[in-house]
Amino acid sequence: MKLKTILAASVATSIGIGAVAHTGATGIVLERMQAMSAMGDAVKSVTPIMKGEQNYDADTVRKAAAVFEEHAGTAMTELFPEDNANEKSYVKDAIWEDWDEFERIAMRLETLAQGLSKAADNGLADEEAAQADMGSMMGGDTASMMGSETSGMMGGGSAETTLAEMADMPADEVFSELSRTCSTCHTRFRLEKD
Amino acid sequence: MRKLLVIAAVFSAAVVVGVGAVIAWPVKNEVASIDQPGDPQRGAYLARAGGCIACHTNWEEGGKALAGGAPLKTEFGTFYPSNLTMSKDAGIGDWSVQEFAAAVRQGVSPNGEPYYPAFPYPFYSNLSDQDIADLWAAFQTVAAVDEPAPTHEVGFPFDQRWGLKLWRGAFLEPPRTKPIEGRSETWNRGRWLVEGVTHCGACHTGRNFAGARVLDEKFRGYDGLPGGGKSPAITPEALQKGGWSVSDLAYALETGIMPDGDAFGGSMGEVVTYGTSFMTDADREAMAIYLLNKEQDG
Repeated sequence: MKLKTILAASVATSIGIGAVAHTGATGIVLERMQAMSAMGDAVKSVTPIMKGEQNYDADTVRKAAAVFEEHAGTAMTELFPEDNANEKSYVKDAIWEDWDEFERIAMRLETLAQGLSKAADNGLADEEAAQADMGSMMGGDTASMMGSETSGMMGGGSAETTLAEMADMPADEVFSELSRTCSTCHTRFRLEKD
Repeated sequence: MRKLLVIAAVFSAAVVVGVGAVIAWPVKNEVASIDQPGDPQRGAYLARAGGCIACHTNWEEGGKALAGGAPLKTEFGTFYPSNLTMSKDAGIGDWSVQEFAAAVRQGVSPNGEPYYPAFPYPFYSNLSDQDIADLWAAFQTVAAVDEPAPTHEVGFPFDQRWGLKLWRGAFLEPPRTKPIEGRSETWNRGRWLVEGVTHCGACHTGRNFAGARVLDEKFRGYDGLPGGGKSPAITPEALQKGGWSVSDLAYALETGIMPDGDAFGGSMGEVVTYGTSFMTDADREAMAIYLLNKEQDG
């Protein structure tokens, strides 16, 4: 056990993920945390841009998109083998009970990452257009709102954004959808920390 | 001995009469007619902001919109958010707008039965007639689903609905949504949303033995959420200590992203995905400004 700890610590240090190693995770759980940390760092690299607090830079957005894509899809699902269920981690058993749903979300993340890359050159949503949208929403006509009719707003089925559509969307809108995909997966399959 | 029996009999009779009186006590206040036309788009916006759609749709099971939500497991029992579709038998299709208003603002069903406070109606009680008309117009667009939501699984004594009338008498407080003079329009808009329709306090405020919010502990977080969830403190002090700025908070309500690059899990993930992400940037910013008790970004 001690040897395992030492090994894990040395592996962790050697690849420079000290912060994650502090949790004492090893093996695939450690790999998982590294992947999640990498995506968290990518999120942080683009958040100020998406919030409009930093100058827009398409290359930074593409780089972040590449990180999300690298860790999405099967790269994500492979990190959660069922024989790993007993290992101490933040995974809920629901991930294996509802594997299809987990796979769907992981694949969706991959598509959104590709979409973000394609949308990188589009920049941010036009503030004025956004304000106009808001006007119709609050002002009383029944025109479409955020791209959906009342039925969509009321929870009715609205089709998922396709990759082709994402390519024409402002980057911040694709990124918002991508980040909510992270949230959806965390809500379903991650235990929350104390 | 005989005297004791008489006292016991009188006492029991008093209890029976008392309980009978509580059972017969009509808690519903008459709703004046609401005749103005409603705006379904604005109503849908309120239904998103208010969590109607998030809670009354079983997203995990791929349930139809507003046809009944995922069960809420609490220490009092399991509550099933009801079917709010236009089905006449299983939903709210045969309600009048007045009955709808009483349900939303007063927490009382069309037949006068008080709802459990798992339904956050105390936060909705200051909604205007126009808000109600708009919501009602939006609900008219919801396709009927004829399967009713399951009945709540609540054990004795909590299955005695008349007890909720006592609960209301003891704990029901109007929401603090009224504007405060001297504060900006944005701050007051945030107040109206946070204290009212978006009902942040429903999860971020501790509850007492009876499941009523402890107002002295407002926004200090709670670890007894349905299903065993926990909510963090969201007082201005706690948020500032956690490194949240107005723009961080507004952005988190849109995307689920926290200042450390992580994304919300737990029920907050659902609040964002099915609720606050549909709100306007201006409203999310107003909520953040109110929660941090600022007057502008920063």
